[in-house]
Amino acid sequence: MDLTRRQLLCTGGALTATALLGGCGDGSDDDTAGSPGAGTKPRRGGTLRVGALGRAGAITRDPHGTQANESDYLILSLVYDTLTVPGTKPNTVPRLAAAWQPSDDLKTWRFTLAKGAAFHDGTPVTAADVVFSLRRLRATPSGASRLPGIQAKNITADGDGTVVLVSDYPNAELPQLTRLTTFVIPEGTTDKDIAKAPGTGPFTLDWFRGGNARLVRNDTWYGGDVHLDAIEVKIFESPQAMANALLSGQIDLASNVGAVAARTAANRGDIRTVRRPNDMAMPLVMRTADGPFADPRVREALRLAVDREAMVKQVLSGYGSVANDILGTGDPAYAKDIPQRTRDLARAKRLLKEAGFDTSRTYELLTTEDISGLAESATLFASQVREAGVRIKVVKQESAVFWDKTWLKGDLYTTYWGTNDSVVFFASKTMVSDSGQNEAGWQDEEFDTAYEKAMATADATARARQLRELQQIQHERSGYLLWGMADGIDLAAPAVQGLPKLPGYGRVQLERAWLAR
Amino acid sequence: MLLKRAALLALLLALVFCAVELLPGDAANATSERGESAADIDRRRALLGLDRPVLERFWDWMSGLPTGDLGTSARGEPVTDLLSTAFPNTLLLGGIALLLTATLSLTLGCWAALRPGGRTDRAVSGTATAVLALPEFVVAVALVLVLSLWTGWLPAVTLTDVDGTPDSWTMLVLPALALTIPQTGWNVRIVRAALADEARAPHVETAVLDGLPPHRVLTHHVLPGALPTIAAGLATSTGMLLGGAVVVETIFNYPGIGSVLASAVTDRDSPVIAGVTALAGAVITVVLLLADLVRDLMAGGRR
Repeated sequence: MDLTRRQLLCTGGALTATALLGGCGDGSDDDTAGSPGAGTKPRRGGTLRVGALGRAGAITRDPHGTQANESDYLILSLVYDTLTVPGTKPNTVPRLAAAWQPSDDLKTWRFTLAKGAAFHDGTPVTAADVVFSLRRLRATPSGASRLPGIQAKNITADGDGTVVLVSDYPNAELPQLTRLTTFVIPEGTTDKDIAKAPGTGPFTLDWFRGGNARLVRNDTWYGGDVHLDAIEVKIFESPQAMANALLSGQIDLASNVGAVAARTAANRGDIRTVRRPNDMAMPLVMRTADGPFADPRVREALRLAVDREAMVKQVLSGYGSVANDILGTGDPAYAKDIPQRTRDLARAKRLLKEAGFDTSRTYELLTTEDISGLAESATLFASQVREAGVRIKVVKQESAVFWDKTWLKGDLYTTYWGTNDSVVFFASKTMVSDSGQNEAGWQDEEFDTAYEKAMATADATARARQLRELQQIQHERSGYLLWGMADGIDLAAPAVQGLPKLPGYGRVQLERAWLAR
Repeated sequence: MLLKRAALLALLLALVFCAVELLPGDAANATSERGESAADIDRRRALLGLDRPVLERFWDWMSGLPTGDLGTSARGEPVTDLLSTAFPNTLLLGGIALLLTATLSLTLGCWAALRPGGRTDRAVSGTATAVLALPEFVVAVALVLVLSLWTGWLPAVTLTDVDGTPDSWTMLVLPALALTIPQTGWNVRIVRAALADEARAPHVETAVLDGLPPHRVLTHHVLPGALPTIAAGLATSTGMLLGGAVVVETIFNYPGIGSVLASAVTDRDSPVIAGVTALAGAVITVVLLLADLVRDLMAGGRR
């Protein structure tokens, strides 16, 4: 057991090193050294067999629906295009929108569509199609949170090639909102025909059945060369089954398979572990509005009591990195210069005493088993803070109950976010006073001002300064205890090259993948 | 008999509807996306008809049954679509497992019965007891490890083709074995016990005293009398096979009813859960009726 663990840590270290080295390159095609085909020119042809998680009962064919399945999301994002996509730096890069331009007040944004963009049936994409799609997306139950601040009537076309979005408030980061589910379908597509709607993406749908699909290359894609002839997506309900399929050679890539499977495959020389850093945040939420954690000194004490290295090592099996209580670690604007908070039990105890925190009581920490590692993080945290004199009992709730009763309401609970990597995303969604998902009930005037200022600042350098201030406040007194970030983990056969390295939704960007065989 | 079983199935379905109702949360909640407001969720709740009393919804669902309409899932897919490839796949897997179980347990049981009290008999009975105590998932994991990951003889998981069925027949072997092994353990015990019981019957003793060879006694005098019990045992296995399929399908990624059911429970999706229950219940009912038929035929033959 000891030996495996040590081996694992070594492999982990080596992989991080190569990933870092790779990250210093131009970011186009940096694969782990030593694998065949690394550094050579992409080869055309071949079929990539990808495993993706999903539940047969939760399948959706609607690009604007609730995509609970990774398999569905993967298929949709290969067939349909979004206006923008995640990038390394900057973190928003063009796709169907080739360029964008804000007005001086940062409220009106004009998106110019890419030249030569056409649907799979040959019809060119017009602004009317985009307007129709965005309005359709806006009309979904969660539309308001998918396109915050942009009302349906303020999505309009200007001629055939330009889409105009008008925000209710100045928003310097608006193009970032169009990275996620702004899939474009032809104008007038009815709900009945949604599964047959042609896309504009790098692949066309050959067939779909029960979550499994075969996609073939779109030779006329405007976005550049696509190397693979086809991608076959296989739906898997359990990560373990997916890992077994990869180990026995039935698939080439196990997408987002997780640390447990990576551990299984760690001693297999023929399997490559692809780590996508900053993929998943699983912070603890301490309620700031009222309750036992309302005093900022108490929250500070808990942040000082946690042993971050141990959390990353044990909860994430080492597949992750230590974090500094600021959400949005993958953002180029992330404030790396704010000093890393480390464990300081003496100071934690002193702060608790000053705040008059009742250490004779036992506090409940609520959690679910929605994703692997979440409940484990709660348990380990509880045992760590005991050393600072805080008694915590972990209560596991069934998923539906947790989201219904605890989320946004509880005094102390775990949460997770795997969908975005930017500082602004978290600030706007979960931290400004009037945000719809203010998980900690946090109201901080200074923070709100900093946020508004940043959003209304057009100059990138000035905005970065504002964003740093925003992060400084968050670091000092928000309701979050972010101890670490989990890596996204894919497992791949040696021949698979050009895999995505970005966190979150970056994992579905398979259009540059190729096979070295 | 048929009427009684049908009424039992209806009662079971009503219980399923009520049980889903008792679970915390509902379908509107469970299928919501993070960030949906309470009003959005209420809107969908009304759309799904979840604001109506459970009995009313149950009645609606039941009244669609005769026309083959199983309702719509919480995500808007017709339940019949969700089950149209999954259920035949499970039936195929369960059918193969049942056939294997029947063949294996009869062979082993008879083999042991021919040597009552002998070393073979004790070995077969002992192994059967040990095997029947093994849960399906232990057997499944062991099978994957040995027959696939170590030796590379068989595929580890089931992948599906454009028509929704397994890509190749080799993918059926491991899941079928994982279901068969524990059920064979159970049925060997039943076959052996039924044969032993029957062996004490006066007509069998007569046959033995007549000097008939053991094989003939077994096939012509012992087995016919034991058949109703054996059939009943296999019929009971059908239920357990379908239950075990839920677990085994997950491990082998088999595209059957198990994964549909599991996710439907997570989603609090009563029409889907009831649809699965209705189909599985119908299959079990038919198999039980067949077992009854065997018993009646045998009794008739004896009369």
